Amino acid sequence: MFRYTYNTLVYGHEPIATGIERIARFGYQGVELVGEPADNDADQIAAALKDNGVVASSIISIFTPERDIVSSTPEIRRAAIDYLKGNIDYAAKLGADVVTFTPTACMKISPEVELAQEWEWAVVAAREAARYAADHDVTIAVEPWNRYETYLINRISQAAAFVDEVELPNIGVMADTFHMSVEERDIAEEIRRVGSRLVHVHLADSNRAAPGFGHTDFKPIVQAIADVGYQGWVSYELLPAAGDVWSVLSGGDAPEFLDPYTEAAITHTRNLERELGLV
Amino acid sequence: MAVSAPQVETIPRRNALGLSTFVLASPFTDSDAIAFEYVRTLGYDVIEVCVEDPALLSAAFLQEQAAASGLAVGICGAFGPDRDLSHEDEFRRRSGIDYVKHCVDLAEAVGSPHVAGPMYSATGKTRMLTPTQRSDQRQWAAESIREVADYAGERGVALAIEPLNRFETDLVNTTEQALELLSLIGRDNVGLLIDTFHMNIEEKSIGDAIQLAGDRVFHVQVSENDRGTPGTGHVPWNEFFAALTAIDYRGQIVVESFLPTVVEIARAVSLWRPVAPSMEVLAEDGLLFLQQRLSPEVVPSGLPTTAT
Repeated sequence: MFRYTYNTLVYGHEPIATGIERIARFGYQGVELVGEPADNDADQIAAALKDNGVVASSIISIFTPERDIVSSTPEIRRAAIDYLKGNIDYAAKLGADVVTFTPTACMKISPEVELAQEWEWAVVAAREAARYAADHDVTIAVEPWNRYETYLINRISQAAAFVDEVELPNIGVMADTFHMSVEERDIAEEIRRVGSRLVHVHLADSNRAAPGFGHTDFKPIVQAIADVGYQGWVSYELLPAAGDVWSVLSGGDAPEFLDPYTEAAITHTRNLERELGLV
Repeated sequence: MAVSAPQVETIPRRNALGLSTFVLASPFTDSDAIAFEYVRTLGYDVIEVCVEDPALLSAAFLQEQAAASGLAVGICGAFGPDRDLSHEDEFRRRSGIDYVKHCVDLAEAVGSPHVAGPMYSATGKTRMLTPTQRSDQRQWAAESIREVADYAGERGVALAIEPLNRFETDLVNTTEQALELLSLIGRDNVGLLIDTFHMNIEEKSIGDAIQLAGDRVFHVQVSENDRGTPGTGHVPWNEFFAALTAIDYRGQIVVESFLPTVVEIARAVSLWRPVAPSMEVLAEDGLLFLQQRLSPEVVPSGLPTTAT
């Protein structure tokens, strides 16, 4: 039986307590939070989690031009690592298990220097973050993004190679089925290849809607996640069909991502768990 | 591997099969004559020429090479910032219209049934617009394309509009949105170019989308979900080909991918790694895949079965 969590990113500017209440109402055990500790009151969130009988599962790191692990500007690279450590502190305070990591600013699609140099910066940064996270009992999840959001790590196999190079026990690979639907030939097969290195999962359909609203076949994917003995969270990071998702969210133009998708997502995967005899 | 050509030819295929010049050279110019011989030798019927720089590509060259190689030529447009048919500035729209009209002239000269491509906007515009701005942009796109459609109609050429995924445009992502634009344009010689790479990201059901478009599907491009060789990924090919059969599609089917080695192209389509062992392998295996799928009853035994 999977542990389920839902990413509040898609709730936009709604008060966080409202989102936490919704996620709990539809049967999730966890809440996935956006990594903006400076904009959020951790005590207030902890209280809302407690009130609703759920826990913090994971913190999603948002990398921007001002905090980019592989920027050619040393201060920006430092800002990205400091930001990541801030997310780890935030996770530790809220009791979340996972902090995500992607070594480029989101939507940056070309390198600033040689790829080998950027990779090296990313490995060094990941080691620093993972060591810091180990002290707080937090795991770092390396997330590949599709080609329109990054150029450095697009595929699961690249993330696995990266994790192997970092070589620390509390860093692993994250699978997001939306990105994988663009980049991988066989999503389930890639999950099997990652095996025990899988530390976080985002399920989203081929069009980034809730599972069941696109054409991804989740049956072999859920089977593969179960078969590799995955013990982490199953999360849903669903986003609107736009290049500029932030504007859509802040404009409140995505009502289906509130109650409808929050309910549909967990229902879809739970039905598959039953169908596959996993529960 | 030897494919028995006479056997494959015993049942006429309903679709001419083509290869996009994006797989071979970018920009494609009058100095790329060797591509025609290459595409013909591979066994394709059509070379789809993408008109990136009109100054470097002449109708005379295309006519000459088409005649020498026996290939049919398809014309496809590329839409950079200076070719924006829905730009708020009328002058900018005009440059876009002039460019597509030039493509129509080329199409007429070489006998291409269409000019294809995402001609409603400059590629790469992914802005958040208000409903009013969005509606204005759609109206400008419709007006511009209507003008080109009338120009093309007088020359016996159709326009095939291509929806692109959300990361490449904010205007037309799905077949349904493209059909709405077609009704705004209101011309019979304007239809759709559907591309499996974009459809994989945007369509809830690729088969349903094709059936919805029906006889407005004027042109088809095939590419795997990762832009690699068709048949090597998870595009639902069974559903795709069944839908093409259901709508009785008889137009061209063109294999498209991009050269990750050309920086401008890599940046435009965000392709940063090789998606096939080589572009030659992609061109060869892509054709083999289409031939197998379109004439299953005459596939010699022993051919590799393809993933679906």
